[in-house]
Amino acid sequence: MTRPVYIASSGLICARGDSPAKVSQALWAGECTSGKRQLGEREFPYFSLPLSEADWLTRAEQAVTHVAAQLGPRDAETPLFLASSSFQIGHFEEQGAPFELPIATASFSRRIAEWMHLSGPRYSFSNACTSGFSAIDAARSLIAAGQLDEAIVVGIELANRSTLAGFAAMELLSRTHCQPFDAKRDGLVLGEAVAAVRLSAKPATWRITGLCTGLDAYSTTGPDPQGGPIAKVAVDCLKEAKINPADIELVKLQAAGSPGTDLAEANALRQIFGNTLPPLLSLKPYLGHTLGASGIAELVTLLACLTLDQIPTTAGFKKVDPEIALFPMVDRSNAHIQRALLNLIGFGGGLASMIIERRT
Amino acid sequence: MIFLNAVLSQQHAPEKLPAAVRAALGKPLRRAATLTQLALVGALACLPKERRHLPTALLWQSTSGPRLETLTLLEEVCHGSAEPMPYDFLASQPAIAAAQIQPFLPGLQSATHFPLDTENEANWSLLLTLASNWLNEGRYAQVLCAHLDSWAESTSAHWLALGSTALENAPANLHIRTMNYSAALPDTPDFPAALAHWLTQPSSRLLHLQSSATPRLAVEFAQI
Repeated sequence: MTRPVYIASSGLICARGDSPAKVSQALWAGECTSGKRQLGEREFPYFSLPLSEADWLTRAEQAVTHVAAQLGPRDAETPLFLASSSFQIGHFEEQGAPFELPIATASFSRRIAEWMHLSGPRYSFSNACTSGFSAIDAARSLIAAGQLDEAIVVGIELANRSTLAGFAAMELLSRTHCQPFDAKRDGLVLGEAVAAVRLSAKPATWRITGLCTGLDAYSTTGPDPQGGPIAKVAVDCLKEAKINPADIELVKLQAAGSPGTDLAEANALRQIFGNTLPPLLSLKPYLGHTLGASGIAELVTLLACLTLDQIPTTAGFKKVDPEIALFPMVDRSNAHIQRALLNLIGFGGGLASMIIERRT
Repeated sequence: MIFLNAVLSQQHAPEKLPAAVRAALGKPLRRAATLTQLALVGALACLPKERRHLPTALLWQSTSGPRLETLTLLEEVCHGSAEPMPYDFLASQPAIAAAQIQPFLPGLQSATHFPLDTENEANWSLLLTLASNWLNEGRYAQVLCAHLDSWAESTSAHWLALGSTALENAPANLHIRTMNYSAALPDTPDFPAALAHWLTQPSSRLLHLQSSATPRLAVEFAQI
């Protein structure tokens, strides 16, 4: 890396609101209600976008254009890095059989670029839940090396039955609500989001000082319960940022309320921080798990909260799990955070950690 | 200095791919999607045994993606009487390939999947630029870049293996250039085949790869 990379602007629409500021206000107020989605005879909690009903593509366009407008002025040639785990599969479901999949699997990215009035290069990333950080990692690498000056990185995950049914079939979904690190956690709650960041070599308030990706091949559906691979990625990230664990003032957890993954993350945190853990925060009780969009959606949400010095609690956490023995934040905080670590633990074994630092 | 250590193109009839996997591993690979099988066969062909434990990244792009698996999933979700089979959902998720490959490639530390959005266009220039940057930083010892496609009646796999040290028979080194080359080869899925041709019948000492979308960024290959 030769040049620092900054987060110049951001945009977001998710279940909690249609801008980073509105989302952070909602979190500060403790708003964490979700809706429902029906799957056969079963009903699951679900975090939907606050958009009026329309066909799938129209709704997608509304969400994307709304987020694009929040990014501010930009060159039309700015490269687009796009992260998703499901792309436009909801559209195919809506169209029905015969399913007319395009030749190129990510053709939806072309349409998103058009909606955002971007005519430069487009790169798509599909690494399940770590897609967003993979996209940021690539864009940051090119900016740091002087091969790009700016990039727009978008995470998009919109409602579809295939993902819901897939997770339901594997019994990974909660039937109640998202309870990170809680003794009664019973699975994750899915949600929708479109989020974007504009990365730049020009100085801005927040800088990405570390970003590492990794792999945990313990199982295709869950991490090593001991948390070793998760800890290794975070430690590599700290090394890249040239800081010690004690310099981290807040951890944005992956914690989605999954029995196995939450435990693995907790074990990893103890390996990284020992007995002196920084405050721990999960945003998934507010947004749901937005899969391929989650990295960027949670980054944008966290930045909005940190910029206002308004850090919410981890909603949904009530009773500590003796096996986890860690407490996420249960009181709101006005702490002025300088550095935060963000964790992603992906379906399929993908791992990613990022460190952001406030420019003083 | 970044070295091109292997160039490989493979085609397997879908029905013969499991046999190729068995030949590579000495045993079958259970419950692996077609793209995973392609990735495994190609990765092992690119890397000699003694280099499979070295820190490695896999960057793979695909035009088809898990197309057949996605169609199966859609059929089950939209027309099935129950929920989809868990394996059919897993097989539609390309990110899962890495977890199934790592036991055979213990140095694999990271894998990124780049689905492509336009037929006959590829992201080789991005993959090679990222690989070059990460090798220069010392993040990995080697990076495998691939284009993998799985269609109903055919599969194709193109590979470029890059390293921060040269293997004995490394045919070329490469540099990232921030300028425009009018005679550059276009960024297409089968670029490694064109590169292999140039390596055997060079028309000039240097070869450039440039995507039409990135006029300022090119990959320059020089024969060793």
